[in-house]
Amino acid sequence: MPAEMMIQCENLTKKFGNFTAVDHVSFSVTKQSIFGFLGPNGSGKSTVIRMLCGILEPTEGTGSIAGHDVSRETDAIKGSLGYMSQKFSLYDELTANENLQFYAQLYGLRGPAMKQRRDELVALAHLEPYIDQRAGLLSGGWKQRLAMACALVHKPSVLFLDEPTAGIDPVARRELWDLLFELSSAGMTLFVTTHYMDEAERCTHVGYIYMSKLIVCGSPDDLKKLPAVNPPGTKRLDVTSDHVTVALRAVRKMEGIRAATVFGQSMHLLLDESMPEQSIRDTLGGVGIHEVDIRPIGPSLEDVFVLLTRQHAGGQ
Amino acid sequence: MTFQMPKFLRGFRAILYKEFIVMFRDRTTLFFMFFPPLLQIIAFGFALDNDVKHMAMAVYNEDRTTESRQLVDAFVNTQTFRVVKEVNSLDELEAMVRRGKANVGLDIPPDYTRKLRAGKKADVQVLIDGSSSTIALQALNTALGVAFQRSVSILLGETDRRELPVEVRPQVLYNPSMRAPNFFVPGVIGTALQIATVFAAAMSVVRERERGTLENLLVSPMSRWGLMLGKLVPYLCVSMTMALFLFTILRWVFFVPIHGSLVMLFVASFLYIFALISLGLLVSTKAESQNEAMQMSMTIMLPSIFFSGFIFPRETMPWIFYAISTVLPATYFIELMRAIILRGAGFLEFWRHLLILALMGGVLFALCAGRFKRKIG
Repeated sequence: MPAEMMIQCENLTKKFGNFTAVDHVSFSVTKQSIFGFLGPNGSGKSTVIRMLCGILEPTEGTGSIAGHDVSRETDAIKGSLGYMSQKFSLYDELTANENLQFYAQLYGLRGPAMKQRRDELVALAHLEPYIDQRAGLLSGGWKQRLAMACALVHKPSVLFLDEPTAGIDPVARRELWDLLFELSSAGMTLFVTTHYMDEAERCTHVGYIYMSKLIVCGSPDDLKKLPAVNPPGTKRLDVTSDHVTVALRAVRKMEGIRAATVFGQSMHLLLDESMPEQSIRDTLGGVGIHEVDIRPIGPSLEDVFVLLTRQHAGGQ
Repeated sequence: MTFQMPKFLRGFRAILYKEFIVMFRDRTTLFFMFFPPLLQIIAFGFALDNDVKHMAMAVYNEDRTTESRQLVDAFVNTQTFRVVKEVNSLDELEAMVRRGKANVGLDIPPDYTRKLRAGKKADVQVLIDGSSSTIALQALNTALGVAFQRSVSILLGETDRRELPVEVRPQVLYNPSMRAPNFFVPGVIGTALQIATVFAAAMSVVRERERGTLENLLVSPMSRWGLMLGKLVPYLCVSMTMALFLFTILRWVFFVPIHGSLVMLFVASFLYIFALISLGLLVSTKAESQNEAMQMSMTIMLPSIFFSGFIFPRETMPWIFYAISTVLPATYFIELMRAIILRGAGFLEFWRHLLILALMGGVLFALCAGRFKRKIG
């Protein structure tokens, strides 16, 4: 049985005057996926989300949520989508509890049904300790949880999250992702924009938008196997040593090294397949570094996006 | 038992619930809704009192006789003037007026008594500072009155008549003491309500736009009528409370008697406030930022202050300003207030004004709900 398509868009385009914010973007997201949408600031990520949520009219192309067209069947999509915007969209003067009740009422929940749903969400997002706190006084992490809970009041089947982890501490970030996996396994489809590569690695599918165009789309593993990312006749090595910056300078002078980037205590090299590991050890020995650990690695998603961006920028 | 909201009102209860909480927690908005109108009615009520009394008068009495002193007393007895200084030259008299030390300078020439006794015309010069028209006008009228009265009593003494041949007996209806507060304060209520109400409503939707909460409202199944009614009702409640305060001040601080029916007073206020909030909401749906909303409301409100008949009578306006005044809700409200409060006018005489206010409110509200886009950008 083919997977059910929850989000689909075809040639989705948005122009603001002469500026094309989104340029013929096409992709689809299957049920229960966690789709990571990446791209630099201003590349059109939020614009795509707004069009898919039915609050921004596409200039060209179509989008659909659970089979309903986003610009023609606006009322039909409202019940099935949840949206957590960049600014969290909470009312600062209202307490966490009141924010939840407000959004619940907005979606037509009343009386005992509203209270029951509120209690479920409070438990899901672990909001008990801050339930009577004004939203304006919550820290970033708690605001984000509350906003998330508010976006879930009507049990949407598709949830859009626009940079949910921007400015959030690592613990809160980890917890949010745990929650996202939980929701996904319960059948929800998630669409998340982010700048963090570690978050992208956790997605089942990623799309990369650059200069208003969708450059690439697929599972992280598929993207890492792209020929553009793995030029023929090359290999990747992780080289761990002391004085990594000294090592980097020495290695960059060698012939056959195509790219070298530092990752903490080690560096990632893209080099000619024919180069023996010994030549690297020799060069590093020449600058006084003898303790060297070398092992082969595959490309990371960051490698994928950096290479594709360069290629795309160069190709224009 | 649950009563299901009709589809076109979806979201009304939620917005209402939220707006009431926000309104009472957001102290700044509440303060700015209540404080300026109260300040305005107090300040205008006291300052716009143009019954000028005891204005400063400098006297240059060159004649120094009983008759000339009687003339000065006649001026003072009107209660319009008080003598601040007796000067000794015409230059000094002019300087007093120029420096603003005196509003009026009275110069009685040395031959005043001689000419009177000889049955000739005696000239008395009165210098009036014309830089304040209210003061100048009153000084002029009073001075002419004094001269006229003196002349008449002298003439009567020369004839055998005891009384004036013709006497006008004026009777001022509805504001018999011609107190300025009676005339101004009902008007101030119109402008005071307008400033607070329009600003507050103009901020309401645009603030959600700036904070980003509007996006979430648009994503939800809320209807635009639900949103607008949910915004309208709380502001209507607060502004009606405000109106109650203002009427209380009118009655018990400025002692302006209310001759008409209180019910009609509140119906008029309700319709006026409904029109004002709708106007504010319309601004709010059009403006992109709070700053823009502020400027747009200012642009709309300034004509109301000048052309509504609040300060200048509409009847003497050039036709273009008169035309503007006919589309301002404030014009009808202020006329209604003066009619109800001062003249005790009833529903039958002024139902047209009420109808016009209701229509204005209805049309403006329909416009802001009807033209509010459920999309952004």
